[in-house]
Amino acid sequence: RRRDSPPPPPQDSVERIVEDAAMDLSLNPFSSGTRLRDMIRAIRASKTAAEERAVVRRECAAIRAAISDNDQDYRHRNMAKLMFIHMLGYPTHFGQMECLKLIAASGFPEKRIGYLGLTLLLDERQEVLMLVTNSLKQDLNHSNQFIVGLALCALGNICSAEMARDLAPEVERLLQTRDPNTKKKAALCSIRIVRKVPDLAENFMGSAASLLKEKHHGVLISVVQLCTELCKASREALEYLRKHSVEGLVRILRDVSNSSYAPEYDIAGITDPFLHIRVLRLMRTLGQGDADCSEHVNDILAQVATKTESNKNAGNAILYECVETIMGIEATSGLRVLAINILGRFLSNRDNNIRYVALNMLMKAMAVDTLAVQRHRVTILECVKDADVSIRKRALELVYLLVNDTNVKPLTKELVDYLEVSDDDFKEDLTAKICSIVEKFSQDKLWYLDQMFKVLTLTGNFVKDDVWHALIVLISNAPELQGYSVRSLYKALQASGTQESLVRVAVWCIGEYGEMLVNNISMLDVEEPITGNRI
Amino acid sequence: HPTRSRPPSTDADPRRWHSRLSAILPSLATGCHPVRPRRQIRAATPTRPRSSSRASADLRGRRPSLAMINFVLLISRQGKVRLTKWYSPYTQKERTKVIRELSGLILTRGPKLCNFVEWRGYKVVYRRYASLYFCMCIDADDNELEVLEIIHHFVEILDRYFGSVCELDLIFNFHKAYYVLDEILISGELQESSKKNVARLIAAQDSLVEAAKEEAGSISNIIAQATK
Repeated sequence: RRRDSPPPPPQDSVERIVEDAAMDLSLNPFSSGTRLRDMIRAIRASKTAAEERAVVRRECAAIRAAISDNDQDYRHRNMAKLMFIHMLGYPTHFGQMECLKLIAASGFPEKRIGYLGLTLLLDERQEVLMLVTNSLKQDLNHSNQFIVGLALCALGNICSAEMARDLAPEVERLLQTRDPNTKKKAALCSIRIVRKVPDLAENFMGSAASLLKEKHHGVLISVVQLCTELCKASREALEYLRKHSVEGLVRILRDVSNSSYAPEYDIAGITDPFLHIRVLRLMRTLGQGDADCSEHVNDILAQVATKTESNKNAGNAILYECVETIMGIEATSGLRVLAINILGRFLSNRDNNIRYVALNMLMKAMAVDTLAVQRHRVTILECVKDADVSIRKRALELVYLLVNDTNVKPLTKELVDYLEVSDDDFKEDLTAKICSIVEKFSQDKLWYLDQMFKVLTLTGNFVKDDVWHALIVLISNAPELQGYSVRSLYKALQASGTQESLVRVAVWCIGEYGEMLVNNISMLDVEEPITGNRI
Repeated sequence: HPTRSRPPSTDADPRRWHSRLSAILPSLATGCHPVRPRRQIRAATPTRPRSSSRASADLRGRRPSLAMINFVLLISRQGKVRLTKWYSPYTQKERTKVIRELSGLILTRGPKLCNFVEWRGYKVVYRRYASLYFCMCIDADDNELEVLEIIHHFVEILDRYFGSVCELDLIFNFHKAYYVLDEILISGELQESSKKNVARLIAAQDSLVEAAKEEAGSISNIIAQATK
């Protein structure tokens, strides 16, 4: 090579890969450029955004050319490349028609990547999607069950209301097929159809109810989910399922709960927690507002609540769903007590996730049994001081709901004490909540003033304007407390003058009631006199 | 290449595509509906009580709840997207925005915090596996502990399929990761609780593809021989 020509680029650089591809192209006129792997390597090797854009542009140009030439050999690879490029965030509209062509092809590999491309590159709002309806109809009737599966999956993920209406009869038919893989996909696809077109719910309720007799777990979890959806979509379906499926559901839950070790479905020592949870959820939907149904499920709920191990997440997930169901139906008081006890245990669990979930549930439990939740007040207060911000927020909201006439003073004291040491990003929430609580229970004016002065001193900068305006209004309407106010504020100002709202309120008070300050007028029993030299 | 006619680079005029396509592929043209205005799709979905309670939560203000899991997101520690699957309607722009927001929210969370983030009225359940964050967005009243199990279910199946899966596997074989996900979730709902069944189904489909490749390979061999 000549002395003044540039050295060859290093092995893995963008230039080298592009050079190799150019060589490849010049030698083989039918090659449409780089392999998928090489394109990904080239993109990863790009050191700047501009370099990456150049690679993507080159690839897109090659793919466009291949598309308009109707290239057959590299369609598969080009679609994969398009999907990767799409994931990076570049526009790939020109590839949408390729998806359709691949789906319309006769082979499984083409359809597989075509359907994947469809669900990735398109969303249901695009009109191009309508063109797939015919292919879908054909594939739903295909003799190869895997192709039927591809179509059901695509339809379930991306169909619009119109496609749903068109293809519902095919999907209904497929619910009756022998192959469990197809059945479960058909059930989930039906869920999407019913969500898009709730009117169709009644068409599915018969098949759904009878499918509850299946043994295959995949079919069961899909069908139970379908039943839940049908109940939400249609009153008639709800009544139908209440009449026809409760016994079956109890049996399913009892069998899976009592089942011995089944390695295929075992998670942390429990057989198929997903099935447990779905059945519990459907029981909630059926039992809500229906005493009859609730009575039927009472025993199995008690069994699951007491028997399920709670040392691993899977067990706790089941217990959580069980508690939700107990709270949601017309449960006996014994069952409710069981539920709140589970939540109490959750609250003291070391796992952050469980505590978070418990706090959430306790908020909902407030509507059902306030007293029981009150019993856990102390633990909830501890959670306000937790290291995890999600838990702190939840706990604070719960505390706010728990405040009543009897516990407001000790609760507020705890919160104000914590205000001093809390993180800055939490101070704002906490301040707002304290001010809100204090204002609600401000009949005891002296107590109200004390709390407000403390808050102003600690976090006055977070106190909203209307809050300290209200404070001033109260002081001006309470002549017996004006002396106390101005003296307390003066002391507070001396201790710490950094909080702007505190300074404002204090200065206003001193301006209005200055002579009370200087002359110790109308002192309360609890006060100590301010001596002359201090002022 | 000025002589080649290319498809339009925007979806501004789908009608042109429609007529061009039906010229190429008559089978697609039969039974096709004429292109309809967009508004019909929205009108066909009446609002139901469950969705109306979430009015203020959405990016646009109105998004009916279409799935338990609204979307799945896999992001690396550097914020690179490795996999996204959307089970609720989000436009391209919305998707980019969502990814940016959630990356910021999740990647900055400390290791000891709980696996749930509250975001725009939804909950996002996430768990970190090596250098990847697996995130699933659910509605406020769904069971987040269960979704943690679903994430783990997905990861274990990927692990079994790729044999000790690592991030590079998911980068270079992203389409296979999607095939696996499609056997686990449809329309944001769980499809199969048996890892063995999922593995079996994927293997069967993979071997269909292999068989087709071999067949194609052998035919071109025959032709090559014949034309030598």
